[in-house]
Amino acid sequence: MDERLERYAELVVRVGANVQPGQEVFLFPAVEHRDLARALTRQAYRAGASYVNVIYRDGHTRKAMIELGPDAALTYAPEWQKVLATSTGGNALIATTGDPEPELLADLDGERVGRAVQQELVQIQMQLMGEGAVNWCGIGAPSEGWARQVFGEPDVEQLWEKIAFCMRLDEPDPVAAWQEHLARLGERTERMNTLDADALRYRAPGTDLIVGLNPSVHWASGAGDTATGIRYVANMPTEEVFTSPDARRTEGTVRATQPFPLFGQIVRGLELTFEAGRAVRVEAETGAELVRSHFATIENADRLGEVALVTGESRVGQTGLLFYDVLYDENSTCHIAYGTGLPFLLDAEPDDAFNIANMHVDFMVGGPELEVDAVLADGTEVPLIRNEEWQLD
Amino acid sequence: MAAGLNGDDRLERYAELAVRVGANVQPGQQVFVHPMVEHADLGRALVRQAYEAGAEYVHVLYRDDHNRHAMIGLGPDSALTYSPEWAKELMLSEAGNASIGTTGRPEPELLADLDGERVGRAIQLELAEISQQQHRDNSVNWCGVGAPNEGWATQVFGEPDVERLWEKVAFCMRLDEPDPVEAWREHMARLDTRAAALTELAPDALHYRGPGIDLTVGLLPSARWGSARFRTSGGIDYVANMPTEEIFTTPDSRRADGTIRSSLPLVLNGQIIRGLELSFEDGRIVGVEAETGADLVRSQLATIENADRLGELALVTNESRVGQSETLFFDTLFDENATCHIAYGMGLPYAFEGEPDEGSNVCKIHVDFMVGGPDLEVDAVLADGSEVPLIRNETWQLVA
Repeated sequence: MDERLERYAELVVRVGANVQPGQEVFLFPAVEHRDLARALTRQAYRAGASYVNVIYRDGHTRKAMIELGPDAALTYAPEWQKVLATSTGGNALIATTGDPEPELLADLDGERVGRAVQQELVQIQMQLMGEGAVNWCGIGAPSEGWARQVFGEPDVEQLWEKIAFCMRLDEPDPVAAWQEHLARLGERTERMNTLDADALRYRAPGTDLIVGLNPSVHWASGAGDTATGIRYVANMPTEEVFTSPDARRTEGTVRATQPFPLFGQIVRGLELTFEAGRAVRVEAETGAELVRSHFATIENADRLGEVALVTGESRVGQTGLLFYDVLYDENSTCHIAYGTGLPFLLDAEPDDAFNIANMHVDFMVGGPELEVDAVLADGTEVPLIRNEEWQLD
Repeated sequence: MAAGLNGDDRLERYAELAVRVGANVQPGQQVFVHPMVEHADLGRALVRQAYEAGAEYVHVLYRDDHNRHAMIGLGPDSALTYSPEWAKELMLSEAGNASIGTTGRPEPELLADLDGERVGRAIQLELAEISQQQHRDNSVNWCGVGAPNEGWATQVFGEPDVERLWEKVAFCMRLDEPDPVEAWREHMARLDTRAAALTELAPDALHYRGPGIDLTVGLLPSARWGSARFRTSGGIDYVANMPTEEIFTTPDSRRADGTIRSSLPLVLNGQIIRGLELSFEDGRIVGVEAETGADLVRSQLATIENADRLGELALVTNESRVGQSETLFFDTLFDENATCHIAYGMGLPYAFEGEPDEGSNVCKIHVDFMVGGPDLEVDAVLADGSEVPLIRNETWQLVA
């Protein structure tokens, strides 16, 4: 048995999802992630899981559905999948990322790819997330295809080394290292909540964007608690401090600083222009059609759901790699997301300022040239990030 | 092998045959594909072909023996028989739709290191009940096919020669024929003719004789003999197993007496049963011996109601392409079509025109094992006690 794989899976089960004895566990790996899925299953049972449900997904069968299936198939949410999604309530969930073929759907009609969202399932997931009903964790699963995308060759060993570094598995006591790391992010989060900024201002080449913030939504990072008090870490790695903005108050233009995989295509050179909260213009070198399809067919996909701050201390950023995986790349630098706000950040019932959409797409906007300021209620601007360094103390 | 029949083209043609002739997917149906994770290549081809055939939606549920190993080895007792709500909903959704399962375990002995008693008990009871009902209702056009992979090839040939396994599988599946669909039509018609002749003979029992074998199994007057070509209650014709070389019936589960010995090893739930010997009295199995895997079989018979009664008798002769391939496949779908077999557990409702006879065994499992070979003699015992030879030296004896 691969010792590293088991240690990795154990960290995810114990610190990430924090599986409790008697809980059911739901795993959603890609078929190419089966080695890790099996290790997660073993570790979940060792942690006392009453049952481990493993539901493999497959980009190739999705491709067949979009390419060869009828229109109705694109958005169809089978009854059993709704039951499955609902069953995760009160239980633990672990999803894996690391697409072995990030451009598998590049040759398909972007409009169909963009429409292919099981919206009823997303609604159930959002509901459960808002209730704090699931201790969940997303992690990367190294595979040959992913390694090839990152390094140009199927060097899984090198990918494993980078991932182990980002996951703090190289530390003598990874659990303790994670506690320290989460505490550090927690301090920064506290600082943002105390600052109580009214808006963020982003400036960089091609970017001049103001995003209003929502007083009913707090900043968060790293660890969260379910409604019943199970502490979990929803993303591993995680390097961000994030909130959901006032979706009505986004103005200006933002340019993505990295390509990012989306639904089996890669979006390169994305530029979005916002007026009164809505994206009114989409440009991109590749993938524009897919993003436009999201905005056209999924209600409120054209408003922002998240702003997240990441600095040069990020271990993911320190690798200097482009992972072509949103979980990793979004933790290497500042990012924002179009689509739904994160319901667990709400301190009150959602109002019109909080975006609700059946999708959430993160993209990276950070880099050495990005300046982020907090705009306070009185109009003064407080620098938050310069040259990827945190400015607030 | 026919020229050009290799690689991706072969995979697609194979999947097309399973979709069009096997499950016979109808436009507008949903299709449920159940591959192992190691069968992803075939699973994907089946999905493509199902959409090409007009499927409304294709569900793909990968299964993984390693996760099952973890469940049995590390999970609590309650996990062994647990049927999650979503899995029940999923199975209920198959009614009225098409289902394709794949066989060919990459690691047939993966569960050999586990407690056979736990392996035997591990059955999702509520799912099994739903499945039984669907068999009784004949509400699903389903098909099982083999999925060549490295592990399976290693088990068969001692080396991961997937290409050689593909050639054997393609031969058994009649993919080497110029028109495989027509070849299958003729093949099934031949099996149905043989089955009809035996149904007409209307034997009261079968008598098996061979080294270590002397078994008489009673038959049911209302049960016919048939091939694996079935028709759903909605009128869809389908071939439930590909390959299939058998004619079968569901016996009177109250009337089995004597002893039977398996002639081939049997892969069962991740263990291999070798040298299985079963003794019957009044329909029930009263003795289980085996060189390996006896605990697993005993656990099934002890914990699953009526697993200790017979559910199927099947006759296969040397015309079988699987038999002619002279290969032990370590896969029941293939090996049961190489030679005569019988099954303990659930009686097959497909043998009955309407409701199954009360003598048809009701059980949550169905386990086929091979008993045929050159030395096996099978006779039909008629109502007047006279015996009519059916099989000698793997050759069909009945004129039909």
